[in-house]
Amino acid sequence: MRTVNISLTIYLSCIIWLAANQEHQVKFAKNTEGYWRVFINGQETPIRGAGGVQTPGMLETFSKVGGNFTRTWGIGSLEEPVAGGKRYIDRAHELGVSVMAGLWIAHERHGFDYNSKEQIKRQREHVRNSIRKWKHHPGIAIWGLGNEMEGPQSKSGNPAMWRELEVLAKIIRSEDPNRPIMTVIAGSSQSKIQNIQRYCPSIDALGINSYGAAGGAGSSVIQAGWKKPFAITEFGIKGFWEAPKTSWGAPIEPNSSEKAKSYFATHKMVTQINTGKEQCLGTFAFLWGWKQEKTSTWFGMYLVDTKEKLPQVDGLVKAWTGIFPENRSPIIKKVEASFFGKRVQAKQRLTASVVAIDKDDDELSYDWLIVEESKAHSVGGDKEYAPPAHPELTIKNGKSCKVIAPRKSGAYRLFLTIRDGQGNAATANIPFYVN
Amino acid sequence: MKKLTTKLMLSLLMAIFTLNVSAQEFGDHSSATLTTKAWKALESGESDLALKYVDKCIELYMAQAIKMQASLSDLADRESASTYWALNDVGTCLFIKGQVLVKKEDTKAAVSTFKQLTTKLKFAQCWDQNGWFWQPAEAAKQKIVELSYEEE
Repeated sequence: MRTVNISLTIYLSCIIWLAANQEHQVKFAKNTEGYWRVFINGQETPIRGAGGVQTPGMLETFSKVGGNFTRTWGIGSLEEPVAGGKRYIDRAHELGVSVMAGLWIAHERHGFDYNSKEQIKRQREHVRNSIRKWKHHPGIAIWGLGNEMEGPQSKSGNPAMWRELEVLAKIIRSEDPNRPIMTVIAGSSQSKIQNIQRYCPSIDALGINSYGAAGGAGSSVIQAGWKKPFAITEFGIKGFWEAPKTSWGAPIEPNSSEKAKSYFATHKMVTQINTGKEQCLGTFAFLWGWKQEKTSTWFGMYLVDTKEKLPQVDGLVKAWTGIFPENRSPIIKKVEASFFGKRVQAKQRLTASVVAIDKDDDELSYDWLIVEESKAHSVGGDKEYAPPAHPELTIKNGKSCKVIAPRKSGAYRLFLTIRDGQGNAATANIPFYVN
Repeated sequence: MKKLTTKLMLSLLMAIFTLNVSAQEFGDHSSATLTTKAWKALESGESDLALKYVDKCIELYMAQAIKMQASLSDLADRESASTYWALNDVGTCLFIKGQVLVKKEDTKAAVSTFKQLTTKLKFAQCWDQNGWFWQPAEAAKQKIVELSYEEE
């Protein structure tokens, strides 16, 4: 009887072990139409992804509208608490959202020395320990090795760093042969891609963070001779570094309705239309949440604090599914301000107006707010603090507004937020300079 | 009869005045000048003026641009890109024209203009002051998709 029990226990353990390991079979392969895809336990999964999705409640909205993949930048994010106090990775898995787990690889611009044996040893240990800790979690589909570690402004990256990346990829492979490895670079520079081909044969896919040129990334990848798959790991509207600027250098931010079209078009271009589409695993939009980077609204797809949905989400959902979400965000048709991109006098009275519509006939409210231009000169998404706002300078809110230019000379923006009262919003801003 | 003569004289004067203004506005009539002026007009919201510049540039240099396009089998490299001046400027002007038509909410004409750019002048390049060339035809392709956004 005891022998039977032991046999049964062993048998059940084997079944459980097999089932657990079955969960972990992820690979990149071509589908029947010749398109590269992520296959999770044999299930073809085109990436409809976003970065961020970290704030409590965001994973739920993301999965509800058709998102199926997120990425993190560092491994610690997997444990961050989300809705219900659950760990991010557990909740994502529960909702059927796969995760590309980011392993943060140190940047030279932050002081890391790729010739320092001690620093390199510590980083290797961190990667090895991270894989050992997480490799059994079924929510993780891909290891994301590094993010722009070559330097966003670098043309080709330091060969010492690329060599080390290969060492790290081999460590991952030795610890977890069941998941593919993707590394993420800034832009699609041919010399960077060629360096990855040359130094990092263990990398299975290329992640490209690209904004203005994201739609054409496939063509660059092919021109660089990259034969493996790639994904767009960050995209959105043109970055503030590549957008048109005012005479004092303030980048001009499109309004949220213009942004929606851009998110929609970029995902479609890179995955369905442009050269290289067959090699594209899918895209990760930046950012399912919000972030202060140059402005409070440049990259975010939701409003800070209130978590109201912006039209960028509508654009992305339309690109993913072919239909808009249930209740759309307000649509900005036109913003008019004679001082747009101009210099004004201190304490000058300024007026601006907007034409906006709501497809669901929700009643719209309008808020105008003067905010100082960010003085941060960070690169690569480094942390920035929100500049001061001046609500006391708004004297009339509504479709048209009256504000008073600040006393202090300098660059400012007049921000507009439109809300439909149903959890949806739209934004725009008008840069101006006080003499 | 006197009224008619006065009207005719006034029309004649207006025409001469318009011609003079146009001649001055077009500067040296080079493709570079017309394109620069068109960009500035677009940025300052002067849509009709922008159209005037782009149409003049297209009228004067389209034939040359098409010849340059035909001489290329791929994008010109960074070093030689600027030698294809007509191709680059007319291509850029078609992109500006498309943008103006979008602003005017003439979607059909905008799509047609963007398509003209993607089919006839796909190797046009435009210098960005940030330090790189971008391709108006690629940007036009993106705009065409953007314009389909509201379609069911």
